[in-house]
Amino acid sequence: MFINKSVTPARLSQYLASRVVRNSTTTTSTTTDYNEVRHHENQSENWWNPSGPMAALHALNEIRVPFIRDGLVARGQVNADYINTTNVLQDQKMLEVGCGGGLLTEQLGRLGADITGIDLGERLIQRACKHLNESSPELVTKVKYRLESVDQHAKAHGEFYTAVIVSEVLEHVDDKVGLLEACVRSLKPGGSIFITTINKTLPMWIGGVLIGEYVLNLAPKGTHHWDKMISPLDVQRILDTMNCQTVLINGSTYDFWRNTWRWINSTQMCYALQAVKQT
Amino acid sequence: MFVLLRRNGVLAATPKLCRISTRLLSSGTATDRSEHFDIIIGGGGLVGTTLAAALAKNATFATKRVLLLEGAPEFKGFNASGPYQNRVSAINKNSIELFKSIEVWPLIEAARFKSVKQMQVWESHSDALIHFQDNNFASDVACIIENDLILDAVYTRLKEATNVQVLNKARIESVRLPKDAQANTNTSELKLQDGRSFTCDLLIGADGANSIVRKEMGVDVFSLNYERMGLVATLDLSDDGGDNSVAFQRFLPNGPVALLPLSPKQSSLVWSTSVSHAKQLQALPPAEFVDALNEAFCRQYPRVELADKALQALNAFFGHTSAQNQLQYPPRVTGVQTGSRATFPLGFLHASSYVTSGAALVGDAAHRVHPLAGQGVNLGFSDVRYLVDTLATAAYAGFKLGDKQHLLKYERQCLTKNVPIMIGVHGLHTLYSTEFSPVVLLRSLGLQLTQNLPPIKNMFMRGAMG
Repeated sequence: MFINKSVTPARLSQYLASRVVRNSTTTTSTTTDYNEVRHHENQSENWWNPSGPMAALHALNEIRVPFIRDGLVARGQVNADYINTTNVLQDQKMLEVGCGGGLLTEQLGRLGADITGIDLGERLIQRACKHLNESSPELVTKVKYRLESVDQHAKAHGEFYTAVIVSEVLEHVDDKVGLLEACVRSLKPGGSIFITTINKTLPMWIGGVLIGEYVLNLAPKGTHHWDKMISPLDVQRILDTMNCQTVLINGSTYDFWRNTWRWINSTQMCYALQAVKQT
Repeated sequence: MFVLLRRNGVLAATPKLCRISTRLLSSGTATDRSEHFDIIIGGGGLVGTTLAAALAKNATFATKRVLLLEGAPEFKGFNASGPYQNRVSAINKNSIELFKSIEVWPLIEAARFKSVKQMQVWESHSDALIHFQDNNFASDVACIIENDLILDAVYTRLKEATNVQVLNKARIESVRLPKDAQANTNTSELKLQDGRSFTCDLLIGADGANSIVRKEMGVDVFSLNYERMGLVATLDLSDDGGDNSVAFQRFLPNGPVALLPLSPKQSSLVWSTSVSHAKQLQALPPAEFVDALNEAFCRQYPRVELADKALQALNAFFGHTSAQNQLQYPPRVTGVQTGSRATFPLGFLHASSYVTSGAALVGDAAHRVHPLAGQGVNLGFSDVRYLVDTLATAAYAGFKLGDKQHLLKYERQCLTKNVPIMIGVHGLHTLYSTEFSPVVLLRSLGLQLTQNLPPIKNMFMRGAMG
């Protein structure tokens, strides 16, 4: 709904206000998102299978973890002693919104981050907890999972995190402004928000959605919808109104034949974005 | 409202659930007696030990604990002023780069090694001949270094490392790997013959051609027994050898015989021949052995006339006089060091896959080639470089060390490099194991064309020199 170019800060804040009111009074506004949650919950058993339906998400870690890591290093958030070590994210307080089964959460925890993953899917959070306890018990002090919305979470954790991550989530959410607003609220000034998502372009829709879901079965059918996709410029505009300056947008694409992601010079397919909350 | 309540209920319950199962886990599965390491390297040969040193040198692994298991007793050290050892390796540029990066090269340089400026390869049944050298001999083709010297230098660096532990007389009894990535246990387990057991995130099989780790990985192995033995020895040369910086290799009907320079007065021998011949040569009295060796380099075999004529025509076509393709005679061998003769079997082996979840293979455990091109250990060192780079990238991105996803990248890099070289070396062996005239003709023409066409020659040299 904010994809048209006529978003003005005034209209936005008006909208945000109505959003906040609605969120606190009813739960109906997230009904459609619950379809998405249920859709992803159905994958919870297979979430950690590297050659299962989540294979592409497993592979995405190869570029999204370095993107987040180097993004924080570049902003001077990382103690120089930790650079190039496997504790590079030590002392970072991170929030992952829409953590699913915890693929990214655990991996950032392994780099030393104190990270909280939140998701609305009960079975997903259970799966994440199970995997953490059974397969990565060394991370139980680093990684926490919570079944709650970012809005709820931000209420208790205002200006708390040095980094908030919204990875492969934005394309499943109707109320992008509400989500991002809550993310930014939980972010310390000077902290970074990292977003990875798919672009709202014809090549992406044909290649990623039509061919990817219905021909190659790279993602389960019905994972992505045109009207929920969002362009990097729109994300940037929304974040601008929240006093977050976009510092980096990288385009990426997926080579399905070798299950590998790589950075490309165009954001036509997928993109990763880093924005910094201004002080 | 109901939804909200329900959500809050679970919200409160979930962390508790996490905590309870953690406690159960810590008391349940952790076996008390097995010590955990991040990486365990099975096999402390040249490749395994170098890998341990390379891991120790990489800052990304500073907090990782590495264990190197070696079946033999503690390495006895190396005396750089003693007699030359019989086991030597032709080390190419790539491997030297690796030695430099782990600061092993200065130690080798300070001891002793011989750089090879030119390599001459020729055969018994025709005049075909090829010389490999850098333009104007500006840099070395390879360096001949004793295996024990390399080990000694690498051990020196290893002793300085705080995060690497070496266990001698440690023979692997059994291995258990997390075959299924979905499995609950993500560690590899390993039991030694003396009953000690260890667990690790990544087990690296550097345990040679009969790798136990590879057997447990359940990968297919393609292997051929060449039914040939390699005979090594340290040789004394006559005074007329100059500074002795040319390596010589002559293909005989039973296999190649090669002289690798060690010093102006000494060379190392690698003679590949039939099993019975090798045994016979090993048992010969020194004087007769030296005669047999000199004969091997100089004896005139029946020529394939057509091949010789074709070569003359080819050389004429390229406008070369025969002087440019002049055969240099290798220095005359005058003696063999007592007790330096030893034999080892030759074979070809390639694992269908180098990695599984929680395990990876390096060196001879993954691939074994004929020594005729001096590639075996260099391929192993190239594995080490790829593996350390891949693991460092993966660890710095928060991957588990045993994660198959990035181990596959290591495998992909290795296969791209190793397979063409292995096919080439195996092909050369096959091509030169016959006296059948048409094959002699074709291989002679091929060799001479390569000699006369610098781009092709450089391509082969780049492949062999790394």
